[in-house]
Amino acid sequence: MATETTTRAKLRWGLLDAVVVVFALIPVLWIASLSFKTPATLTDGRFIPREWTLDNYRTIFDTDQFVRALVNSIGIALIATAVAVVLGAMAAYAIARLDFPGKRLLVGVSLLIAMFPQVSLVSPLFEIERQLHLFDTWPGLILPYITFALPLAIYTLSAFFKQIPWDLEKAAKMDGATQGQAFRRVIAPLAAPGLFTTAILVFIFCWNDFLFAITLTSTERARTVPVALSFFTGESQFEDPTGAICAAAVVITIPIILFVLFFQRRIVSGLTSGAVKG
Amino acid sequence: MVTVADIVLDKVSKRFPDGTVAVRDVDLEIADGEFVILVGPSGCGKSTTLNMIAGLEDISSGELRIGGERVNDKAPRDRDIAMVFQSYALYPNMSVRENMAFPLKLQKLDRETINQKVEEAAKVLELTPLLDRKPANLSGGQRQRVAMGRAIVRQPKAFLMDEPLSNLDAKLRVQMRTVVSRLQKQLGTTTVYVTHDQTEAMTLGDRVVIMRGGEVQQVGPPQELYDHPRNLFVAGFIGSPSMNFLHAAVQDGTLRTALGDVPVGDRIRRELESADAPRELILGIRPEHFEDAELVDEETRRRGMEFEAPVEIVESMGSDKYVYFTVEGERASAAELEELAADAGADFTGGGANLVTRLSAESPVTEGGTRRVWFNLEKIHLFDPTNGRNLTLHEGRAAGALAD
Repeated sequence: MATETTTRAKLRWGLLDAVVVVFALIPVLWIASLSFKTPATLTDGRFIPREWTLDNYRTIFDTDQFVRALVNSIGIALIATAVAVVLGAMAAYAIARLDFPGKRLLVGVSLLIAMFPQVSLVSPLFEIERQLHLFDTWPGLILPYITFALPLAIYTLSAFFKQIPWDLEKAAKMDGATQGQAFRRVIAPLAAPGLFTTAILVFIFCWNDFLFAITLTSTERARTVPVALSFFTGESQFEDPTGAICAAAVVITIPIILFVLFFQRRIVSGLTSGAVKG
Repeated sequence: MVTVADIVLDKVSKRFPDGTVAVRDVDLEIADGEFVILVGPSGCGKSTTLNMIAGLEDISSGELRIGGERVNDKAPRDRDIAMVFQSYALYPNMSVRENMAFPLKLQKLDRETINQKVEEAAKVLELTPLLDRKPANLSGGQRQRVAMGRAIVRQPKAFLMDEPLSNLDAKLRVQMRTVVSRLQKQLGTTTVYVTHDQTEAMTLGDRVVIMRGGEVQQVGPPQELYDHPRNLFVAGFIGSPSMNFLHAAVQDGTLRTALGDVPVGDRIRRELESADAPRELILGIRPEHFEDAELVDEETRRRGMEFEAPVEIVESMGSDKYVYFTVEGERASAAELEELAADAGADFTGGGANLVTRLSAESPVTEGGTRRVWFNLEKIHLFDPTNGRNLTLHEGRAAGALAD
């Protein structure tokens, strides 16, 4: 009786999961399928292309526009991620470990920043960046990305740091480590999963951003891929760029997938088990 | 490598920024090689004191000297002392070997010396077969031993232990207690050991420091604290089952108690006759100073007195019997007693007082009936409920109620 219900429950859950996965994957697969279609069959409504072609991919890598944007995207996202994770780690460590005046205020304000509607900041940022000659430069995008990624980084990292028993740091100090050695050799290895998780989240945030990228750039100097995609046109006015856009969309999804797959193995929970009792 | 490692606390205090005083003017001299226990209920400042010796907490005022040198402002790493934590605090990303080698690596010793020292320490603690395991794959007792190993491996001036056994189950704790004791004797290293368990305090230390509310109550060898407690708190804290406390009213040169009128000797009487003497006292007597009146010989009988009371519960331990009596009369009350009860997690039951006695196994006592019980007047302590002072203590020795 009991096993019957569990198998049925399993079946129900499995079905539900399948529905969710299919629901989420269909648009992605559709885009992937479009990217392999020839212009003539684009609108045939078939899920599996009748004629396979790599022309779309060739097109986007032939255009300087896309490659440039890809370089911008990778560079800007990596730099913003690195800075946000390092700064966030320091802030999160302080929040997790120290009791300083104004701690609650600081956490509250950083939450406020995360909640702030970004659309409302776009116009003032545009004016500010033009005045400061940051408009259409890498730093012009990296700075706002860091601003909006930091609260996220601080939040996730402080949760991770709070899980690390403080006794470990004390023990390292008693064993003769300096503050720096204690952090580097004991705390950092244990916080690694948290650092990777945060890095992934921040990277995805920067990689996917469209709003800032479209308002704070005007040329290929700093234009990122999501924006470049929107500027894709065919070689002539009558050529449909759908295939190329889809190919580009597939290409920019790949780094994210690789990034997550690569770090997933390091995001293992329970790394701190065995440090302390229980 | 003979280093003198005496630890001296000179009026050491700890005040937190919010104004609370965790430790107040602690004076303590710990001799080289001595095993000293800091004991007290939670929140008494024992761990804070230990952390100040370690250098993990700043000292607000006073001076701390290790080996004659002032170390107030030295970082933990410059004090050359090792610490065993209650949580063990093993580095989970390192194997047992790496855990134990960590302090040596930080000292920049060469690989060969490190290996040799780790192997040696592992042998002493029987950790050799576990050296390549990660802490997650060890049992509680093994983790505890690794934590000890990490402390002894670099031969520090002193060991600090913060409730190192409290996470083990009862049986293992007893076993590890002897391991700790043997290790300390073998190495002869000055050790400061914090515990809230009075049994550990009694069995382990050369000397015991009892703390309450950030202040030292009494310092001395375990037996001295047991026999000659300076105040109500020490008397109630040390001993298991703990001392019985009864309300005693001073009347016409005797003490009216639930056990009958207890006569007092000249010295106590003189003290009670002074103008500011308390009118009410607390009488304290340990369970083993009772005996079944039938089993007491004539000579012993004269040293004490008898009472009769209904037997509530009999617990036969084989070697002797714990017998619980209910006695009529007001229960003893004092701030210290309430604090001790709160720490034990028990509330005093209202109504009459409860009496725990330890009688010989031969006693035919049974539950439900009444029994005549003798108790030793020479072993009675009298406490002033207002300040907890032991009135029967004369020049540091408890002399009972009858002393002249």
